[in-house]
Amino acid sequence: MSFELVIFLVTAAIALTGGVGMIVARNTVHSALFLLLNFFAIAVLFLLLHSPFLFAIQLTIYAGAIMVLFLFVVMLLGVESIEDRTKDRLAGQLWLSVVLTLILMVQAITITLLAEPVESQAHNTALLDQLADPALIGAKLFTTYLLPFQITGVILLVGIVGVVVLHQRAHLYGPLSETEREFAAQYVAERATSGQPAEPAS
Amino acid sequence: MLDLIWLIPLLPFIGFLINALYTGRIADAHARERTAGYVAVGAVGAAFIVAVLAFVQLGQLPEEARLHQVVLWTWIATGSLNVPFGLLLDPLAGVMLLLVTGVGLLIHIYSIGYMHGDKRVARYFAYLNLFITMMLFLVMGNNLLLLFLGWEGVGLCSFLLIGYWYEKRSASGAAVKAFVVNRIGDAAILLAMMAIFFYFGTLNFFTTTVNGIEYPGFIEEANRIVGVTVGIPGQTFLVGTLISLLLLIGVTGKSAQLPLFVWLPDAMAGPTPVSALIHAATMVTAGVYLIARTHTIFTPTTLAIVTWVGALTAIIAATAAIAQWDIKRVLAYSTVSQLGFMVAAAGMGIYVAAIFHLLTHGVFKALLFLGSGSVIHGTHETQDMRRMGGLREHMPTTFWTYLIGALSLAGIVPLAGFWSKDEIIAHAWKHQGDVGYLLPVFFILLFASALTAFYMGRQLALVFWGKQRDHHYHAHESPSVMTIPLIILAGLTVLAGGLNLPGSHWLTDWLHPVLHEEAAQFSIGVAVFATLLAVGSGYLGWWLYAVKFANKITVDGKDPLYHWTGDIWDSMAAAWYFDALYNRTIVPAYRSVAGFFATVFDPQGIDGIVNGVGRLFGRASNGARTLQNGFVRTYALAFFLGVVVIIGYLITAL
Amino acid sequence: MVETSYYILLSASLFTLGILGVLVRRNAIVVFMSVELMLNAANLAFVAFARQQGNIDGQVLVFFVITVAAAEVAVGLALLVTIFRNKQTADVDAISQLHG
Repeated sequence: MSFELVIFLVTAAIALTGGVGMIVARNTVHSALFLLLNFFAIAVLFLLLHSPFLFAIQLTIYAGAIMVLFLFVVMLLGVESIEDRTKDRLAGQLWLSVVLTLILMVQAITITLLAEPVESQAHNTALLDQLADPALIGAKLFTTYLLPFQITGVILLVGIVGVVVLHQRAHLYGPLSETEREFAAQYVAERATSGQPAEPAS
Repeated sequence: MLDLIWLIPLLPFIGFLINALYTGRIADAHARERTAGYVAVGAVGAAFIVAVLAFVQLGQLPEEARLHQVVLWTWIATGSLNVPFGLLLDPLAGVMLLLVTGVGLLIHIYSIGYMHGDKRVARYFAYLNLFITMMLFLVMGNNLLLLFLGWEGVGLCSFLLIGYWYEKRSASGAAVKAFVVNRIGDAAILLAMMAIFFYFGTLNFFTTTVNGIEYPGFIEEANRIVGVTVGIPGQTFLVGTLISLLLLIGVTGKSAQLPLFVWLPDAMAGPTPVSALIHAATMVTAGVYLIARTHTIFTPTTLAIVTWVGALTAIIAATAAIAQWDIKRVLAYSTVSQLGFMVAAAGMGIYVAAIFHLLTHGVFKALLFLGSGSVIHGTHETQDMRRMGGLREHMPTTFWTYLIGALSLAGIVPLAGFWSKDEIIAHAWKHQGDVGYLLPVFFILLFASALTAFYMGRQLALVFWGKQRDHHYHAHESPSVMTIPLIILAGLTVLAGGLNLPGSHWLTDWLHPVLHEEAAQFSIGVAVFATLLAVGSGYLGWWLYAVKFANKITVDGKDPLYHWTGDIWDSMAAAWYFDALYNRTIVPAYRSVAGFFATVFDPQGIDGIVNGVGRLFGRASNGARTLQNGFVRTYALAFFLGVVVIIGYLITAL
Repeated sequence: MVETSYYILLSASLFTLGILGVLVRRNAIVVFMSVELMLNAANLAFVAFARQQGNIDGQVLVFFVITVAAAEVAVGLALLVTIFRNKQTADVDAISQLHG
């Protein structure tokens, strides 16, 4: 058993632990932290797969930005243990899900075992080391994948705009503040006394 | 010119379109009426001119070339069925063409006066033009299907025009009756058409060339079915007999023969010019035309039946005509009777005589109907002859023209009716040795023609002689737009006999390429006898009602002859209770079946199926609705299930 | 050297765990996290295959996935906050108005 395999097995165990823990944990904050553990493990696996660039991105974007966002929302809304209050209304959802998941797992193993062996470059360490250069990824992004890259940029822009709009809508149609209530009541009263129909001003 | 014969039906059709789509929108009533009349008369007049020119050109061709076909386009082409939309012009179609457009033109002109003041006059003229179009299709169609299109088209126009005053219940009822009775005959024609296609593989009358391909015609190949039989072992029928019998049923419907004649007397509910055009001169003669056109496939068996149908119709309708009070019903039964003469003539194989009588009858019966229309018009919508009398002085033009028509119908020398009717009766007498039934047929027809003279004498006496019995109206002569057509028709009635005088027999020669008949021999003995009989019974009819019993005729009273005849008179007045028979037997059965369909089968069967299907899907979707429970996780589960299944399928394919 | 199939099996296991999380958990935030887990599993498979193929396109794809996932999380969490404001809950079963 090579050293690399040992590291893989340990990391894989940690990743699985993180995944299981995330699902099982009652407290959402704990879930988030288990997911974080999982992300770290996957980052290590990226390193094992000769892609240091993805390792870095995984750590900064996933483990950094996204997880922070999750934790921020959890803490903001205070929904740490929402499921503890009510019973699951969907009878059979749990065991059906488990059965289907197991079937899927069996299918995955079957496919892996049945797959015909193909010529692998995994042993070609020299090539892999050469490919590990982030500059190559950059070159690909701006040549072959230029259009997807642009689209990704647009998606991010849409995401930003979407978030802002959602926030705006929540503000617009949320409950009226006390000042707004008073203003509306005053407006209707004025209209009623002047004999004009109480139409909202455009 | 002969290649332009498609103009003949097209021109009335254009008139129809203008009157149907444009004229009705003119706001001013006078302008509307004038426009409608001018357009309709102009369209038919133009068609008449084209028809005359085409007729003349046809006459200039050598005799064996007098068959001109113009294929406008391929109408139906499916599999082996190829029906061109083609028009044909041959001597037979030619004379019919002149009758339809010529008499039609006069009746159109007359209609301007008769329909003056009617509020739906644009519609009237549109229908009339459409009728002319359809009648021309019927006459000029070069295949049975186009003939059938015209056949149905004239039926439709007949329906529309009988029910023209649809506010009157009797008019709309008569229209429906005419339509339903005609359907029986039409169904038989359809069957005959299918049989002809089955045995001949074509519906064309004559060999037609379409796009360089020759299609045969069944008229010329009629001997292909000679001796061909169909049926179960032990009981077989000649195919020719079956087809021609089916055609005969169609003829009895359209030409008002026994047993389907009951619709024609009721059809008098329509405007009188319509009665003249459709129910006397043209449409009802379509059956005779059909027999003459397809005469090659008629077998001796069928011809015997045709003869008997015609003869019996002639006598039954003639007796019924004696006992009518309505001026138009007399003429209606007279028409049925004369159609019986034509059909009997066709049955005896003298198609020229049938066509000759068709032409002369078309002229003088149109004259009589228009004359009766003039009387009705001049007496302020009076139709009951008991309320008339003495109109000779008030309506001189109408009287004289009517007299000529009546004498012609009665068969008085030298008017047209004498020559054509005599040809039929004389043939039956001279060929009595050929087939056994010709002698009884001769006597029946002779008696019928004597009755014809009698009821015309009666009608003349009742309408024009004596004193006016009802003084609620002031009788006056009709305007010249109505009397001029009468005068023209009267002149034609005098002259039309010349078409086929015994010495010259022009019509026989003219129709020879189509009907291949030799000129009939004139029998002076029969002619003299028949004339004496007609004069005698006509004078008797006139004398009884104008002199002998003139004072016994009262408004709403009984007929003087009723005193001696009693129930027989009642039976004659009811046309031997054919209507009652149908009302007691077929109509109730039909009604109960229709009632069953209307009240049980339709609401419970058809609607039940439709509503049931609707309800089924309503229930099913109610059930399916609960699948959509709103829980995202359920949707995800279903989605996941699908993924698992698809991956499973892919694994098996691995 | 670790066989590619090991990575694939690990990826499959993580993906399955993610599905289970989506189907079983009712807390919308945990559901979201499960989706992220599935995305990561897919990323892992991408990189493993890229190594086997000896090219870099798999890694580029992972880059895209991560980027889009970031946008998705941002929008998704914003939606969640909006829903929470109206419903005072983050239970996905509470948002079941769209039923037939």
